[in-house]
Amino acid sequence: MAAYTRPLAELRRSDASEFGGKSANLGDLLSAGIPVPRGFAVGAGAFRAFVAETGLDGTIASALSRAPRGDVEAAGAASKAIDEAMRFAPLPEPVRQELARSYGELGESPPVAVRSSALGEDGHDATFAGQQETFLWVRGVEQLCDAVRDCWVSLFTTRAISYRAELGAGGEAAMGVTVQQMVDAEVSGVMFTCNPVSGDPSMVAVNASWGLGIAVVGGETTPDDFLVSKVTGEVVRQTVNAKEVEYVVDSAGRGTVRVEVPAERREAACVDEDQLGALVEVGRTVERHFGSHQDIEWALERGRALPESLHVLQSRPVTTLKPKAPKLSASAISLVMGTFGAAPRKED
Amino acid sequence: MAAPTKTSSAFPSPYEIATPAGCEGWEEMYPYHALFDERRREKDENRFWFWNSMHFPVPMPAFDVHAIDSPYQAVGEWQNRFFAVPPAMGIDYRILNGYVYISGNPVTDPAKIGERVEYFQRRASYYFEHWDEIYAKWKVKMEELIAEITELPVPDLPEYEPDEVMLEDDRQTAFYELLSAYDRTLRCGDLMWQHHFELLLLGYGAYVTFSDFCKANLPDIPDQHIAQMVAGIDVLLFKPSAELRRLAKVAIDSGVDGAFVEGRSHAEIDAELEQSDAGKAWLDELEKIKDPWFNMATGDGLYHYYGSWYDDPTIAYASIIGHVRALNEGEEVERPTEELARERERLAEEYGALLDEETRGTFNELLGLSRMVFPYVEEHKFYCDYWFLTRWWNKVREFGALLARHGFLEDTEDVFQLGRHEVGQALDELVLTWATGGEPLGPKHWPPIVARRKELLEKLSGWTPPPALGVTPEAITDPMSIMLWGVTTQRVQEWASAEEGGGRLTGAAASPGVVEGKARVVIDVEQIAAVREGDVLVCPITSPAWAPIFSSVKAVVTDIGGVMSHAAIVCREYGLPAVVGTGRATAEIQTGQTVRVDGSNGVVTILD
Repeated sequence: MAAYTRPLAELRRSDASEFGGKSANLGDLLSAGIPVPRGFAVGAGAFRAFVAETGLDGTIASALSRAPRGDVEAAGAASKAIDEAMRFAPLPEPVRQELARSYGELGESPPVAVRSSALGEDGHDATFAGQQETFLWVRGVEQLCDAVRDCWVSLFTTRAISYRAELGAGGEAAMGVTVQQMVDAEVSGVMFTCNPVSGDPSMVAVNASWGLGIAVVGGETTPDDFLVSKVTGEVVRQTVNAKEVEYVVDSAGRGTVRVEVPAERREAACVDEDQLGALVEVGRTVERHFGSHQDIEWALERGRALPESLHVLQSRPVTTLKPKAPKLSASAISLVMGTFGAAPRKED
Repeated sequence: MAAPTKTSSAFPSPYEIATPAGCEGWEEMYPYHALFDERRREKDENRFWFWNSMHFPVPMPAFDVHAIDSPYQAVGEWQNRFFAVPPAMGIDYRILNGYVYISGNPVTDPAKIGERVEYFQRRASYYFEHWDEIYAKWKVKMEELIAEITELPVPDLPEYEPDEVMLEDDRQTAFYELLSAYDRTLRCGDLMWQHHFELLLLGYGAYVTFSDFCKANLPDIPDQHIAQMVAGIDVLLFKPSAELRRLAKVAIDSGVDGAFVEGRSHAEIDAELEQSDAGKAWLDELEKIKDPWFNMATGDGLYHYYGSWYDDPTIAYASIIGHVRALNEGEEVERPTEELARERERLAEEYGALLDEETRGTFNELLGLSRMVFPYVEEHKFYCDYWFLTRWWNKVREFGALLARHGFLEDTEDVFQLGRHEVGQALDELVLTWATGGEPLGPKHWPPIVARRKELLEKLSGWTPPPALGVTPEAITDPMSIMLWGVTTQRVQEWASAEEGGGRLTGAAASPGVVEGKARVVIDVEQIAAVREGDVLVCPITSPAWAPIFSSVKAVVTDIGGVMSHAAIVCREYGLPAVVGTGRATAEIQTGQTVRVDGSNGVVTILD
């Protein structure tokens, strides 16, 4: 029988079908030497064991059978029924033990981030399926088990049910979960290894804000905006914005809290040139590794200096790239002719 | 004829510009064809004209109109009659209050354009295929022409012809020799302009194509990276500066560097050096590099008063003073050529690697083409604008000296207050009356004209020309205006919407960095010696000839110019912030004002 969990470092892209795209991707990044926080992946097998052991599989099947394609109201009712059944169901003991063991290997009750990891390639589908659950600053085995289960529950939101119904029979309800050591982010953000607006492949576009990345990803703050040349590392353009709020760990060291950014930091640039340089470098490494433009979430850890402070939290291919300039397949000389308004006439 | 159509334009009609007080009658300095004449008002008023402040930042002396006529004859010849650039014929010019406005003649008939495409493709292809060979021959042609203008004798008028007239079959008499020499001087000038434009259009075109290609595929690429990938490392124009740096080291090594005190004139420095053997040895070293490196002009070369460093070594000495100070303070003054060369290759490789294979192929081809043409684009200035022109103006001075000796002019320099045909007329009368023994009228005729024109030029120099006149065009499509002057649709719109005196000027971000400093407005070369360590240089155009003083200024701002200009590249090398093509910096900024130059974003702010 397959293990319920595996260290992220052991995973490769081919493991996406069992452990989900996010975990497989992180394993792949680790193998390329990218600084990804340590952690482990929970496989779909754990979810299957959970629903089989608790008899939830029957509940789920019957709830879903009452939610035909296109019927959002019925999907809502199914979601509610499944949620209520799953929310307090205990994890099977073997699953719980393995989670506890893998968690123990990360340290003495360390804070972790728990995220859903949709099966198959991470990206487009997962976004629609709503498998984007994230729990930060999770501590202790009990909280960890709850967070894992809450991720599974997110498979059955109204939107996820409707989406799978649209897909038809192919959409199996199962998922992986990623558990990673928590980075106490002083600054975090997103970078694209191209300019997503202009399509320029020689630029890295960086958005950065104070605290945890959810402020940027969730659009709750206007981040600082940088455009950095991959070729020379020069900051070609920058806009420093007023960053009103940030997410930090709560005073009990569990979970996060949204606070106002103190006035003296609000309008200060939250990354310096060295940090941007390090970001660009790691961005380029990730891009080279995957062979395509990447959309990367990153964080700079509080109390540490470069290079140790920089962590990559997730990377996926850029899907919204503006189409490039129309293909110019002309020869150099005919392009020069074009400059003088003497482009070769098209052959008929 | 119908009344001129009144069009709504952001720019004034050239016919509604007032003559500055006391400048009435300025038109008499210039040829009839150079004026906005009532007889062609309807046409001229409905065209778009822009002030060619890049080449003609100050009012034109009468003789210097040759430097408009001849290049525009030549550029029109190559562009319209030889290469037949499909959408653009040549460039018309008009003089208004002493300033030069230009406007391109488009080709609009599609059949005509089609006909021209064929010519252009055939001829341009030939040039690109044989570029290196043609350019090698071109340099020989230019060196021969420079030798010819240098050696061309301007005969004096003797009391009696020598016996050789009797003894030698091919010996002509002085009147003929003098008139021939003057004709030949003018023709040599024309020939230089012919050579000047033979390769320039294609050279710029190849570069602009590469630049456009980069921007289509790498939309955010900084202009300076494009220029860096193309620019030569070991180009002629850097040699004079390199020699001056070497001489600064020699001065320090031989212990005569104490002579190079900021604010001293070259004569004072020379006087001190003459006192010691080491100083004399240094002066000998200087003498060795003068030919050809002192053939740099003190300005962009299109005015007679831009001499060479031979004529006025102020810039060369100011530069040495700066290098001596820097070296003594332990600064590095050498151009890091190897590093520059490595960086150039690295940029090209990295940008190339970011493109897909097919695009990369075209990128490399265009880069190769641009690098092939770029030595010419950079070096033609040294051969034509500096080396030839400074000698040519000096040849004209020889005629001026002759006319002055015979009382037609009060001073040699006054020759430049006469048009070239007027000088021909004066010489005609001079040889006539010399031959006949009659009484010349010239000495009574010309000096008052000269005096009035000097007064006019002085007054006209206080007038600020609007950047554009006539009709606001919807779009600028003329490839030459875009390529040679950087006059694009966007630039014209900026001119049109510019609010006077806003204290903020925008231009092209030519070299990154932000600094604040005292402005030093330098319109012509006489003001160069006033530039002090730490000034922000504000000038009509950054001329490569001024490059040596860049080592003492803090930032550079220009009225016109693009990021591909050689001087912009020099700024980037020295790490000086530069904003070019602001349109009106020299008009809006005054010497002594504190300005902030943001070379990263192309913004200049007047702070007081």
